[in-house]
Amino acid sequence: MDIKEKLKILADSAKYDASCSSSGSTRSNKNGLGNASYSGICHSFASDGRCISLLKILLTNCCIFDCKYCLNRKSNNIKRAMFTPEEICAITINFYRRNYIEGLFLSSGILKNPDYTMELLIKTIELLRYKYHFNGYIHAKAIPGASPYLLKKLGHLVDRLSANIELPTQEGLKLLAPNKNSDNVTKIMQYVKDNHSKSYVPAGQSTQMVIGATNETDLNIMAKSSDMYQKYHLKRVFYSAYIPVNKDKLLPSLLTPPLKRENRLYQADWLLRYYNFKVTDLLDEASPNFNLLIDPKADYALRHLEEFPKEINTASYYDLLKVPGIGVTSAKRIIKSRKYFKITFNDLKKMGIVIKRAKYFITCNNRYCMDLSLLNKKFIESNLVLAQHKDLKPKLNQLSLFS
Amino acid sequence: MNQVYIYKDTLEDLLTLIAFLLKNKLKPSNIKDTRFSPSLLDEVVTLNLKPNPQVFSKLTLGNTNLMKIIYYVYLSSHEYKELIIYYLCLNTQKYPSTILNMYNLKCVNLALKISHQVSNEAHKLKGFIRFQELTNNCLYAKITPTNNCLEILSNHFKKRLKNEYWLIHDPNRGIISIYDKKNYYIISEQNLKLNLETKDTKYEDLWCTFYDTIGIKERRNDRCRMNFMPKKYWKNILEMSRNNEKSN
Repeated sequence: MDIKEKLKILADSAKYDASCSSSGSTRSNKNGLGNASYSGICHSFASDGRCISLLKILLTNCCIFDCKYCLNRKSNNIKRAMFTPEEICAITINFYRRNYIEGLFLSSGILKNPDYTMELLIKTIELLRYKYHFNGYIHAKAIPGASPYLLKKLGHLVDRLSANIELPTQEGLKLLAPNKNSDNVTKIMQYVKDNHSKSYVPAGQSTQMVIGATNETDLNIMAKSSDMYQKYHLKRVFYSAYIPVNKDKLLPSLLTPPLKRENRLYQADWLLRYYNFKVTDLLDEASPNFNLLIDPKADYALRHLEEFPKEINTASYYDLLKVPGIGVTSAKRIIKSRKYFKITFNDLKKMGIVIKRAKYFITCNNRYCMDLSLLNKKFIESNLVLAQHKDLKPKLNQLSLFS
Repeated sequence: MNQVYIYKDTLEDLLTLIAFLLKNKLKPSNIKDTRFSPSLLDEVVTLNLKPNPQVFSKLTLGNTNLMKIIYYVYLSSHEYKELIIYYLCLNTQKYPSTILNMYNLKCVNLALKISHQVSNEAHKLKGFIRFQELTNNCLYAKITPTNNCLEILSNHFKKRLKNEYWLIHDPNRGIISIYDKKNYYIISEQNLKLNLETKDTKYEDLWCTFYDTIGIKERRNDRCRMNFMPKKYWKNILEMSRNNEKSN
C-alpha cells in the first residue's frame, strides 16, 4: 500500500474527532523546527467549515474493540492500514515546513492491548521530538487502560493530551461501547490534572462527547461537562453531533446530524467557562433541553426579565456579561471606558456591542431605547428570533417596472 | 487651498512630520506619501525634515500599546491612515494616559478598528501562507494581502522556521522578505532575480489528499468555510486553488 492510500484511510478514520485547537502552549523553537503559538493558528478550513490546524491521523485503524458508533470497530469490514513511525515523521515535517499545519494530532485504534498501542504512540512522538527536533504542537490521545508510567512519558512529550468520554452517561456507554469503561477515562483525567505543569501537558487536556446517539437530555450533558470542568480542570469539552456511520439496531437512525443542538451546547459551554453562568441558570428538570430557536444567553435573559434592563454606566462586569449582545471583550471595554466618559447608545455602537440584540436589555444614563411598556417577553422574543432567522421575515417584493 | 503634506515613505519620516506639525500648530488637510498625485485644489507642501529616531517614543510618551497601534495603522491600506495617526498624536497630548480608552473619539475608535483589522489579517495569513520548496531547498511563498503584513509575518517565521532559507513575496507592493538563517531583510523585488523552479510535488499531492479526506460530507457547509477563509485568499492557498482548477 502506498503512502497516499494510507493517508487517505487513516485521515478518514480520524476525521470524526472534533478537537482541532492548537492553542495554550508556549513551546519555543530550540534550534530545530517549529514552535507553538499561544493563541493557536488555523491553517485551513475543510469543506464542513471546521478548522484544520493539525495533521489529524490515526497510527492505525485496526482495533480490538467493537464500539457500536465507531467506524473502526472490529466487526466492520473496512480497509485497514498502519503507518510506520518514520512515515508519520516525514509527513509531519514536510507539511510543517510548507506551513500546511500547526502540528500533529495522533490517535490510534487499539492494537493488541492498551500498553502496546501507547508504546507505539510514544515511539513515534519521541522520534519526532528528538531525532527531527520538532517543536511544533502535538496533541495525542491517551489510550484508556494504559499504565501510568506510559501516561507519564507521553505527557512530557506532547502539548495536549485527551481521552474521550464518548457518551455523557454510564448507561449509554454500557449500551454502545461495551468494551470501554468510563473509569479508565476518568483515571487518565485525574492523573493528568494531578501532574499538570509547564513541562507536563502544558496546553492541558480535553475530551469529547457524541451527541444524539443515546437519549440523554441537554441537562445531562451540561451537568456532566460542568462536573468535569470542575473536577479535572479540562481546557475544553468537545461535542460532536452523531453521524450514522454504522448500521446497528441499538443506534438511532437520523436523516441529518443534530447540528443545531451541537451549536447550542457549544454556546452554553462558553457561558459556563467565560460568562460565569451555572448549569442551573440555563436548564432545569422542567425544561431539560435548549431552545433551538434562540441562543441560551438570550433565553436566560428572557426568562429573567425582572433583572433587566441593566444600566451600562453602573452595572458590574458580571451583570454586563449577562446582557445578550455584550461579550467578554465589549464588557471589559465598557468597564475601562466608563471611568473617563459617560457612555451613550451612540458610543456603544462604536465599541463593538451588538446593539440590535443588546438594546432591549440595557439603559444608557437611565434612558431606555423604546417605550418601557415594551419591555415584555413576547415582544422581545419575537424580535430576537426574527433578527436571527431572516428567512422567517415576510419578504417584500420589489415592484417591477414592466409587469 | 487644501494643504497636503508629503512624507518620504517611512514611518519615522511620517512621525517626524507630524511632530513638526504639532509643534508649529499647523493643521493639515491631508498627509500623503510621495506617490500622491494632487488634484486642482491641493497645495502640496514638502518639508525637508531630518528624521529623528526618538520621535516615536516622544509622540507616544513611551506608551508601548499606543506605539503598536500606530505601527499597525501605518501598515494598513486605509485611505486616511496618516491623518488618523496625526489626530491620534494630537489627542495623546490632551489625554496622555487614557488615550486608548477614549472610544468616543473618532480617531481612537478608527485607529483601534484598523489596527485590529491589520493584526487579524496578519494572524490569518500566518495560517494561510503556503511555502513551495524550490530546487535549491529554499522555501518560497507568495502573498497578496490587503494590508502590508510582510514584516509581521517575517517576524513570525523567523522564529518558526529558524533553520530554513525562506522568501516571502508580496508582488502587489513589489517587496520581498528574504531570510538567511539569521535575519530577514525586506527589499524591493527589483533588486532580486528569482529562479522559481520547484521540486517534485509529492507532499503537495499528499496534502490535497488529506484536505479532501478530512471534511465530513454529512456536515458540508460552504458558507461557514467562506466566513473563516474568504475567497480573496484562495488563489494563494494550495488546496483551494487546485480544487478550483479541478472544478473549472
